[in-house]
Amino acid sequence: MEQSEEPLKSELILNELKKRQRTKDVVDVEEERVKVIFFTCGENRYAFYGTDIREILPASDISWVPGLPDYLPGLINVRGDIESVIDLRYFLGEEKGDHLKHLIAMAVRGDFHSGVMIDSIEDVIDIPVSAIGPPLATLNGAARDLVIGAIEYDAKTIPLLGVGKLANLITI
Amino acid sequence: MSDVDEILNGAAFHLLLFSVGGICFGAETGQVTEIAVYNGEKGEDLFWFHEEMGYAGKTVTYQSPVIVTIKSGTASPYRVIIDSMEDITEFSQSDITLFPPLLEPFVLRRGLWGLLPQQERIVLLLDFQRLLREKSAGKSI
Repeated sequence: MEQSEEPLKSELILNELKKRQRTKDVVDVEEERVKVIFFTCGENRYAFYGTDIREILPASDISWVPGLPDYLPGLINVRGDIESVIDLRYFLGEEKGDHLKHLIAMAVRGDFHSGVMIDSIEDVIDIPVSAIGPPLATLNGAARDLVIGAIEYDAKTIPLLGVGKLANLITI
Repeated sequence: MSDVDEILNGAAFHLLLFSVGGICFGAETGQVTEIAVYNGEKGEDLFWFHEEMGYAGKTVTYQSPVIVTIKSGTASPYRVIIDSMEDITEFSQSDITLFPPLLEPFVLRRGLWGLLPQQERIVLLLDFQRLLREKSAGKSI
C-alpha cells in the first residue's frame, strides 16, 4: 500500500511548535533583561539593579563610631567582615528612622562596598532593559543625584537608584 | 628592629581597654604614662574623652572615671578622663582589622586607626597622640 505524501498531523504540530520556539528564542536574545530590586525607604519605593546588591541582611546592631557624619551611622560585622553602613534616608530626604528596624542591603560596585539601610524589600524581578526610562525631570533635592532611571511598576513610577552614584556622592 | 617592625612581624602589643558611653576603645599602653582615679578636679590640660572624640548630641554618663596621662611630646601633659577601664590585654597585628575605606578619612581625624572585632563587640583602636595632633592642627587652622 502506497503511503500518503500528506504530512502527518503530529508533524505539522511539531513543526509549528519548533517555529514558535525559534521565534521566542530570537525575542529572548533581542530583549536583554536585568534584575531589579524594589524596596521601601521611608515613605517611598525605590529600586536598585540586582547586580549591585550582594545580599540583604536582617536588622542588626550598628556599632556607632565617633566622628562620622549623619549619613554614616557606623559599622556592622558581616560574618567577620567589618562593613560600613550608609543611611539612605539622608540622601532621599526621608525622615530618619530607627536603626534597629532596618534591613541592610550590601551594595557592591567596583571597589565600592557598603551596607545601605532600607526599610523593606517589595519585590525582585527581571525586566527588559527597555522598561527602564530616563529619570523623572520633576525629581529634586539630593535624590536627583542618586537616580539613574525610572521604572513603571505596580502603576507607579519608581526611581532607580545608582550604587555608583551613591559611591561618588559619599567618597567625593 | 623598631617597635613597629616587631608588631608588623607578629610581636604582641598591649592595649588598655576602656568604654565611654557604651563604645569600647583600645589604646596602646606605651602612650600612657599615668593612670589615676578622677576625683572631680579641673584643669586646662584635663579633657573629657567624649568631648575630645566628638560624641555630638549623645548623653554620656561616666560610671568609674579615671584620668590617663598621655605622652604628648610637649612640656604640658595631655590628660584625658576616660571611663570603665577594663583591662590591659595582649594582641597581635593579625587581630587588627582596617576601617572600611568609606569611614577611614573621618575616623583618622579622631585618632581612630583600626578595629578589633570581638565576639559581641567591636573595639575601636585609638591613637591618643594622633588625636592630640589632629586637635592641635584643627586649632592652628
